[in-house]
Amino acid sequence: MFIETAGPATGIAPAGPAGLPANRRPKRRALSPYLYILPAVVLLLVWTYWPLGQTVNLSFTDWNLIPTKPKQYVDVQKYAKVLSLPELHQALINTGLYILAFLGISVALPLVFALLSRKVQGKARTAYQALIFVPFLITPVASSAIWRWLFAPEGGTIPAIAAALGAPMGNIFRDPDSSMTAVIVIVGWQMLGFGVLVVSAGLAGISPDYAAAASIDGASGRQITWRIIIPLLSPSLVFLSLMTILLSAQWTYPIIDLATQGGPGNSSTNIYYLLYQFGFRNFDAGLSSAAGTLFFLGFGLIALVFVELSERLSFYDN
Amino acid sequence: MAFITIAPPAQPGSADAPLSGPRKVSRPTTAPAAERGPMRSPSLRLGSVRPGSLRTVPSHILLIALALVSIFPIYWMFVTAFRPPSDALSTNPLPGPLSLENFQYVLKTIPIAGMLANTFGMALTLAVSQLLVAILASYGFARWDFVGKKALYLLFVGSWLVPFQVTMIPNYLLVSQMGLLNTITGVVIPQLCSAFAVMMLRQHLEAFPKDLLDASQMDGRSSWRTLWEVVVPNLRPALAALGIMLFISAWNEYLWPSLIMQKSDALIQVGIRGFLGAEGNNWGAIMAASSLACLPIFLIYIFLQRYVVDAFVRSGLK
Repeated sequence: MFIETAGPATGIAPAGPAGLPANRRPKRRALSPYLYILPAVVLLLVWTYWPLGQTVNLSFTDWNLIPTKPKQYVDVQKYAKVLSLPELHQALINTGLYILAFLGISVALPLVFALLSRKVQGKARTAYQALIFVPFLITPVASSAIWRWLFAPEGGTIPAIAAALGAPMGNIFRDPDSSMTAVIVIVGWQMLGFGVLVVSAGLAGISPDYAAAASIDGASGRQITWRIIIPLLSPSLVFLSLMTILLSAQWTYPIIDLATQGGPGNSSTNIYYLLYQFGFRNFDAGLSSAAGTLFFLGFGLIALVFVELSERLSFYDN
Repeated sequence: MAFITIAPPAQPGSADAPLSGPRKVSRPTTAPAAERGPMRSPSLRLGSVRPGSLRTVPSHILLIALALVSIFPIYWMFVTAFRPPSDALSTNPLPGPLSLENFQYVLKTIPIAGMLANTFGMALTLAVSQLLVAILASYGFARWDFVGKKALYLLFVGSWLVPFQVTMIPNYLLVSQMGLLNTITGVVIPQLCSAFAVMMLRQHLEAFPKDLLDASQMDGRSSWRTLWEVVVPNLRPALAALGIMLFISAWNEYLWPSLIMQKSDALIQVGIRGFLGAEGNNWGAIMAASSLACLPIFLIYIFLQRYVVDAFVRSGLK
């Protein structure tokens, strides 16, 4: 949209105070966008795309990450192995469950909260939002420590309350049945406020005229919510859902590493933590890379489908 | 690619803006000044209900509950940290008796002041370099049309689909070959360019008033001087918000520092992890260390709250 600037400029150039030879300018202009973009592109190629190619490359080899040991080309052996590993199945199931949990906590719940609380405005609203957002900013080492303390079997607040209510609980992080719940609670605590703020911002952008008009036409509050507000919110909701699906595994990674190490018995692991374990615990670069390549393709496919769907489903206010 | 473009509209006018599809959203910003008020509540327009009227009481209750859930764990962290170690298991919900013993213990046991300083330097370096690279690249993209523009931009959008865990082994090897393992430089280098910052800034620049650029060109400024004398000063609020966000993200980054700094505790994320593991159930000390790890972020949030919330909510990213 800025191309038009080139038009008047060439007309003015000869008389302009810059005094550059007219024939030099177009050439410089042709090069300059590339020069501005160069640093970013180089960094991206070196640290994202070249490594991506390397990962695909490594996925066909057997190598233990020791520089002096030669890589051995093993065809698709690593893919066959990784697909048959029960750890992978467990990690895939867990990742799916994490995504479902966070679709609830960072999309559905925030929608409910934002809709129910939209009548609160002004200073009070700003104050609530400021508080609700704080957990999102807590660094993972601290948030895992805080919740380990809250859940501590001895002296922890939550087991104390549970015991007072007559439902004593053990160590939530050490029990295979509850270790995932622990991770979900911690990460959900961080993401909930973020979701509420995103949905509220979306709500704030919807013109009240629609609701007013519908109300004059005799629409009930419920009809207005379901037929007008939620469709108009769909861009925000689609955005949050896509983030949740693509990033849940990344959100949970630090907490898994800090609070449960994926255990006990892989009960709380996820696909990215598995990549870490394959690569930096078992030193099997091929296995980690094969799994990584598969996850990359899988998420890429999901993202494309999602973008396509959102184009069709989103309801735009125009 | 839907990520940024669906960012919740924070401007009063944008409800009527043509949100006609993720790609071609052009926000009707007429002057960057309109960007200035992050997260102000434009939704006053929705408020046909006076604040304080009875109908808002349930909403207040809901928001208070949500705020309590968000804040209590953080409150408890400080309460435990400021208690004398002998009272660590106290269930008294009120703070006190006040004691600094836990902090003294932490300062004595680990070089936490150095860690904080190092992490601060690392986060600042990253935020500044990511901003710089992004300013250049987004200016290149927004100001000119050139051959390969779409393909090059797709590199940035596409990098979203490459999770860091998938490329971590080649990245690790590259850093290791450069001899930068266990150094802060090794943590910083792969992250010098943030594709996300480029995309965010490009959006701001697309909305930049063309007249100003034209005028600047007529005054005889080169594109380089236009960038620094016209564009950047006018984008200051947006740049500040983005910079703060990049700083916080860099501070909270866990995965990469934990891989690169395996034998060093120069950074807070890694240094404190060891301390937490070693201290077991010494919750007072653990909470003191955790609250120190969050301290800079809390300070930023207290003083620049509106920028922080605005930046994160608009972006929807960590």
